[in-house]
Amino acid sequence: MKDYKLEVRVTMICFILVAVTGGFLSAFFVIFNQFFFNEVAVPAHLAHALKSYFVVKTTVMGFPLHYLLLILLSWIGATLIGAIWSLVMDKIEDRQQT
Amino acid sequence: MEPRNQIFVLGLILSVAVLLISVLISVWARRFTRSLGDYYVAGRSIGALNNGLAMVSLALSLTTFIGLTAFIIGSMYVGIAVYAAFTAAFIGLLLLAAPYLRRHKSFTTMAFIAERYDSKALRIMSVVVMLVVSVLYLAGNLKGIGIVFYWLLGVPEIWGIVVGGLVVTLYVTLGGMYGVTYNQTFQTIVLLFCLMFPVAVVLKALGAAGWAFPPLGYGNMVPAMESLQKGFAFFWPMAVHPVTYIALFLGSFFGIIGLPHFVMRYFTVRDAREARWSTVLCVFLVGLVNTTVYATGFAAVYFLNTKAVELGITVSPQHYDYMVFLLIEHLANNTWLAVAIAGSVAAGLSTVAGLLMIMGAGLVHDLYGVIKPEVGDERKLKLSYVAMFVIGILVTIFSLNPPQFILEAIMWAFGIAGAALGVPIVLGIWWKRTTKQGVAAGMITGFVIAFACFIMISYLKMDPVTIPLPFFAKYLYGPGGWIKTIAVIVPLSFIVTIVVSWLTPPPAEALQRQVDEMHGWKDYDPRRYNGKGLPITIVVLSVLIMLFMTTLYDKFPK
Repeated sequence: MKDYKLEVRVTMICFILVAVTGGFLSAFFVIFNQFFFNEVAVPAHLAHALKSYFVVKTTVMGFPLHYLLLILLSWIGATLIGAIWSLVMDKIEDRQQT
Repeated sequence: MEPRNQIFVLGLILSVAVLLISVLISVWARRFTRSLGDYYVAGRSIGALNNGLAMVSLALSLTTFIGLTAFIIGSMYVGIAVYAAFTAAFIGLLLLAAPYLRRHKSFTTMAFIAERYDSKALRIMSVVVMLVVSVLYLAGNLKGIGIVFYWLLGVPEIWGIVVGGLVVTLYVTLGGMYGVTYNQTFQTIVLLFCLMFPVAVVLKALGAAGWAFPPLGYGNMVPAMESLQKGFAFFWPMAVHPVTYIALFLGSFFGIIGLPHFVMRYFTVRDAREARWSTVLCVFLVGLVNTTVYATGFAAVYFLNTKAVELGITVSPQHYDYMVFLLIEHLANNTWLAVAIAGSVAAGLSTVAGLLMIMGAGLVHDLYGVIKPEVGDERKLKLSYVAMFVIGILVTIFSLNPPQFILEAIMWAFGIAGAALGVPIVLGIWWKRTTKQGVAAGMITGFVIAFACFIMISYLKMDPVTIPLPFFAKYLYGPGGWIKTIAVIVPLSFIVTIVVSWLTPPPAEALQRQVDEMHGWKDYDPRRYNGKGLPITIVVLSVLIMLFMTTLYDKFPK
């Protein structure tokens, strides 16, 4: 049962992580937008179309932080999660076969 | 942008070369096909590298070149979020299904569902769902090849559809899964080259400092982009309600598990380990291409607001589909344009081939095989050649006048597949107590509601006010049509399947043993994958998501 529990727990943790990096991350950017944006007055030329206006707080390599996080986490982050999970499953499989 | 009034010779030569090489690869691969298993699952002999590359071209349809850039221009941040979810969804497929499906030794998704739950009725139901989602996914891909021929090569659209359709039919029929796999590998290499290099040239022309690496090479252009009038929404996740992102997660993660042409690739690999590592390679390359496409979308918006204004070029929104080619034409040269066109033809062929393969396998192996169980494998193999050819011809005829939408139809396919096929696959692997009655109830609920919404919203273009059933208007209609529907049907399918499974007698031990075998255990332990924690957690999360979607949706600040 030890390996079974390891398989289930590692899969659950990896799934939660990849669900956040690939799916829910942008929802968090909306809900916690004060971490990434400063809300400022709507510019006059956009006043007819918008009720609120936001300016990015932090940039990295020229990119807004949240945008770079989305790109990197959904790509490199997801790949790494998959690779780590595969390594653990390879170990479990080796033990299952002995 | 106007269609070419004369033939673009270099583009035509490269595109025809891609078509010819595809047929030649299949003729070469034909020698490996000796049995039904060789024809449908390439003798389960494909390695991780080959399968990973083949999955990339399956994932990146013609929409990568036509449609996606327009989608990013039109929807800005949401377009990027869609493809972020789609990229990471492959890891969801890996964690929840890929290696376990390989160990099950089925040929198709439909066979897996039928054998895991021991039900002929479920096999037939899943074949019907497979046909619907495949047609939705297929809609526009062959038509897209025709559009490429007409708009970019100056050849009549019908020739593009007919030649593309015949070529893909020929190489799928001749080569079976071996031909499809080696072709998809070739097409991935072509696609990577034909997208990455022209986009790098475009970014260089626009002044991107890191143009040599398109996915992250345009950071220095961002401040200028932000100052442009329309640039704001490109970096604004707040442009839509947060539930949109939850729907994207549900649709992409469970949709990809439910789409039979993706899953079929896992039945072709040597073992579970190869299945795992092929997915890791696939997600890395899909991410590379998708981030390059974001860069193209960014470049397109930047171009429309800067250089296009300087040069006096106007592009109407209905021509945004051709932005990749337009950028290359204006900022690179005709050689790179020809290369990109050839890449788009390769992208279109690979997806159509995967869909033809699963449709043929579903009809011959899963449907005919059930109706006539006495028919031997040799006869089924002969029938498969005929069926594949006939399906290819029918698909080509259908593609002469398909529905106009491409990307939206694919979103619906993801939603329907997720609710009707993704849910029974995930529960069949992770919860022994899942019963055939539960799966039937969940599959029917998910499919009927999703398909009804698709017909009303996307096909009949009904407005929420005019939909005659208040239930649909209140609970299922939302921005983008498919978004709210997906966020309701996937959780609903999970709830119905789990609740009905609990209310019906547990499945026989032989069926429960399959779960342990799929996870690689040599012995059987009834305690494994049989707890109450997983189903209760899924039901609670599903109820919360549905509550959020149906009652709290309008209260939550946008």
